[in-house]
Order: sequence, then C-alpha cells, then structure tokens
Amino acid sequence: MNPDDDLQKRIEAALRDPKNLGELEGADAMGAAGSAACGDMIRLWIKFKQESGKKVVDRATFQSFGCETAIAVASLATEMIRGKTPEEVLAMSAEQLAPGLGPLPPVKIHCTQLVESALHSALQSQTAPPQPAPAAAAAPSLLDNFTQPTHPPGKLKVILLDPEKKP
Amino acid sequence: MSDPIDATTTLRRVLDIFPGAQRALFRRYHIGGCASCAFQPDETLAGLCARNNLDVAEVIAHLQTSHQQDEELQMAPADLAALRAAGQLRLVDIRSREEFEAAHIDGAVLLSQPVMQDILAHWPRLGLMVICDHRGQQSLDAAAYFAGQGFRNVRCLRGGIDAWSREMDPKISRYRLELST
Repeated sequence: MNPDDDLQKRIEAALRDPKNLGELEGADAMGAAGSAACGDMIRLWIKFKQESGKKVVDRATFQSFGCETAIAVASLATEMIRGKTPEEVLAMSAEQLAPGLGPLPPVKIHCTQLVESALHSALQSQTAPPQPAPAAAAAPSLLDNFTQPTHPPGKLKVILLDPEKKP
Repeated sequence: MSDPIDATTTLRRVLDIFPGAQRALFRRYHIGGCASCAFQPDETLAGLCARNNLDVAEVIAHLQTSHQQDEELQMAPADLAALRAAGQLRLVDIRSREEFEAAHIDGAVLLSQPVMQDILAHWPRLGLMVICDHRGQQSLDAAAYFAGQGFRNVRCLRGGIDAWSREMDPKISRYRLELST
C-alpha cells in the first residue's frame, strides 16, 4: 500500500470521531498557532484541576481551520494530555501527542508542529507573558503572490481589446 | 546548466537559480506559503532544513526538479475544455473582481476570502481543481499553494484566460490592464 494512502486512512480514522472540538467555557488557558490565511490554524483551550497536590490538565478542546491532519493530531493530543502537569505536557514529543498516526511525512510535520505550538502557547501563557516574534523580513509568500493586489485599489483599469464582445 | 546549490546557499540565491523553488518548497514541505511558514531570503538551505527537520540533500534534489514540477502543474486550454465538457472539475479564478466582471469562463468561481476558507475547509482534496488567472503567471503560485494544502489534483490554466480566449472561446474578451492616474 502507498504510505500516503496508509496515512490518509489513519487520519480519516481519527477524523471519524474527533474528540474535544469547540471552545471550552471557563478555560484557564488559551493558545493559538498558525494562520487562518494559510489554512492551518489551531486554537486550544485548557482547563486545569488539582490532583494529589498538583495542577494537571482536566480537559482540553480545540478549533482548527482547514487542515485534516492538524484536526486529527489535535483530537489525539487533547486526549493524551489529560491528567498531565503543564511541565509534562511541554516535554511530550510529537509521537507521544498523536500516537496511532505513526511517523508523518515531511509535508505533514508542520501539522504536528502547529498543535505543539498551540499547546506551548497556551501553557506558557500560564507562567510568562508571550514574547513577540522577532521581526524579520520574510520573503513574500505564495499566498501574497496571488492574493495581494499589485496596484492601489481603484487604480487598475481593464481595457478590452475587442470592446464589441461584452460578457 | 543551472548553477549548483548546496547547504550554504541562501534562499535568495536558490530562488534566482530555480524560479519555481518556492512553489516546490510549499508543495512538499509546507514552507513559504504564508506568513506563518515563511522563510527569510538570507537564510541558508542548511538553516531552513534544520528549522524544519528536513534532510538537506533530499530538499536540494527536490528543488532541482522544480521546473519539471511546474510544467506538470499546467493544463492546456484544450485539455481544460474537454474536462469542462465532462463536468469533472472546479474552476477557480484568482484575478481581481474588475477583471472577472469584464471576462470570465462560465462556471468559474472568483477567489475571495470566504471562498478561500470554503475551499480549505470543505472542498474534496482528491477532486480536480483548475486555477485561472490572466496570463498564467500567478496561477502557478496558487496551484502550488493548494497542492501544499493537500489538494492532490490541482492544476493551472496554461496562458490563463487570455490563452483560453485565443484558443478555445473567442467570444470571451481579451483585455489589458492599465493603471489609471
């Protein structure tokens, strides 16, 4: 079987019954990662409880926009972190967060990193204020290349070469 | 013959040598598609690969085939006409609203923010999607973008709507763009 097909089946299995979808009322922490424009964005909410004198994850939920793999990873990860302390969650590897999906190909690693980033964002907001991302001049993205107007609004005129043909 | 690239080559230089490199990077590795997965022009291939857990040699081999990958993304107007007749595709027009209103192919959907969200959230990843622009320049980037989002059967119209008008449907107006002062 093609490894891509095999992965797709595992993702579909995780998507058949996704866990913990939606906002979590009364959450103690919220984190987000990615960009809705990129089609890959995750928001995570976490509620804690005290257990044996330790603060542990009681419940976590998520919203995802677009990417099926990220939904599958987030569904599994929000189950796996239950009962763990923030430190234990931060120490979990991608494989520990999404057991059952197996090793992901390079194109899908970004999806796992997205969920990890959202988790880190949520948990670090518990202890320290978020640090702004370092400013750097990134290359124009593919999305910019085909969605950003190349001219000021209202400045572009469409001149028909054969004006008799009206649409 | 193309200049060689290696782990110390900056992304700026890679893009000079292989114009399709950014599309190739996003299609396979989800890098360079939007602000959250962007790269820096002065970043080296080694740095980019370390940041994304990628094998440098494999990435270089992939980039060296980027021109061929661009070719495979394109669809001739005659092929598009045959598939349209069979009703087997979705056509997405990425031009401005003004251009779309002046001339468009029947059945094409004008890309907007809501349409983009609908595509990413709901359109089948295996269905054939064809991207159309004015002259086939930006549609390659768009097709690579959607391919990187998991759409396995995305193409762009070679030569854009201009070629479509010349080769398949002369009733569709050809046009040029002009900056008004």
